[in-house]
Amino acid sequence: MDSPETCLVKVQAFEGPLDLLLHLIKKHEINIYDIPVALITQQYLEYLNMMKELNLEIVGDYLIIAAELGHIKSKMLLPKPEDDDEIEEDDPRSDLVRRLIEYQRYQEAAEQFSRLEALERDVFTRSYEDDTADDANQLLTVDLWSLIDSLREVFKRRNLSISEGIQFDIETVTLDERIEEVTSILISRKEMRFEDLFRKNASRLDLIITFLAILELIRARTINAYQEYPFGPIKLAYAGEHVAWKKNT
Amino acid sequence: MEKEHLKKVIECIIFVSEKPLSIQRLQKVLPELKRSEISECIEELISEWNSLDRGFRLHEVANGYQFRTNSDFSEEIIRFKETKPFRLSRAALEALAIIAYNQPITRLEVDQIRGVDSTGVIGVLLEKRLVEISGRKEVIGRPFLYATTSEFLETFGLRSLRDLPSLKELEEIEASFEKPLQGLDA
Repeated sequence: MDSPETCLVKVQAFEGPLDLLLHLIKKHEINIYDIPVALITQQYLEYLNMMKELNLEIVGDYLIIAAELGHIKSKMLLPKPEDDDEIEEDDPRSDLVRRLIEYQRYQEAAEQFSRLEALERDVFTRSYEDDTADDANQLLTVDLWSLIDSLREVFKRRNLSISEGIQFDIETVTLDERIEEVTSILISRKEMRFEDLFRKNASRLDLIITFLAILELIRARTINAYQEYPFGPIKLAYAGEHVAWKKNT
Repeated sequence: MEKEHLKKVIECIIFVSEKPLSIQRLQKVLPELKRSEISECIEELISEWNSLDRGFRLHEVANGYQFRTNSDFSEEIIRFKETKPFRLSRAALEALAIIAYNQPITRLEVDQIRGVDSTGVIGVLLEKRLVEISGRKEVIGRPFLYATTSEFLETFGLRSLRDLPSLKELEEIEASFEKPLQGLDA
């Protein structure tokens, strides 16, 4: 069973330390230009303790502001300079206050956004059968890990070890040549299974070069790798002009 | 071409268009027409559709034109579509607002305003295509710059970025805080 410690909940009520501070300021009807730092710090830490007890996730950002509050409080305890003109600028709270006001500004803007008529919530357009509608018919595109898994399958079926050292072969092709080859095969065949691209009796190095060629072509979007259903065989298809490799022919 | 006929042509192109249809796009289809002629027709179409007071209207949105349902019927449409209505968390809306008013902007700059890490919420915004990576800032580490997308304008029914609700002046925000309480100072 999971220990209660692993079950952290993201704080929904407060979106961050500044949000919590603004909440405290509004709750206590405090003048933002004259924040009673001792009171606010105490309240702030009480909330943090409460959050801890509720097993809510307290991210480091909360602690940074807590430390900042402590720092401001200690600065406020120092005797103020006599020169009156300097007091405004020297107020250790001013930096935090500026940040709070700036943040409040965007909170209100976000509030305004949420009141706008939102597409797919308040207003709708004519919809087209696309990504959302027919998920089931969509081809699943393949990630790198599945491709590597398939390569391992190819190795296994041919009794080739994956970690075995590379044996140098005199007649190896270059990656560019293999890319050309794979491309032309796929142009003529339209679609084929991933493993069928690997020649029978091919050496380990040969298989790896083919694999790298496939990766490069996928990256360049010259070919697509996909599965027709989850865990189905990986298929490859020519996707379009192979501009990147034309100059080599 | 006679104007009433032309309006019908434009209307049905807007009707079949998947995305908000821009005047530039219309001009490609109707090269013999001036921009001003097209926009005149569209203006008339908008007011005609609106005065009909039916279930949908013609809107100007994301630098184009699109038919959209009236918000009064959202509940029934959601029931029909059997989908969850669009929703953004408060955190995501905040980050979106910060990006919208300061674009292009780095994640770190968003974090600084919010006082909390925004990696997760920016991920949500990217996934929903409300923001995109628009480049890199030429400072140490060359961080990504984020900007809002055309989908952002579509989602919130804005004609263009100039249509963003105006950001409150700092003075207004200051005034919104309550008057000071006496005797609470540290």
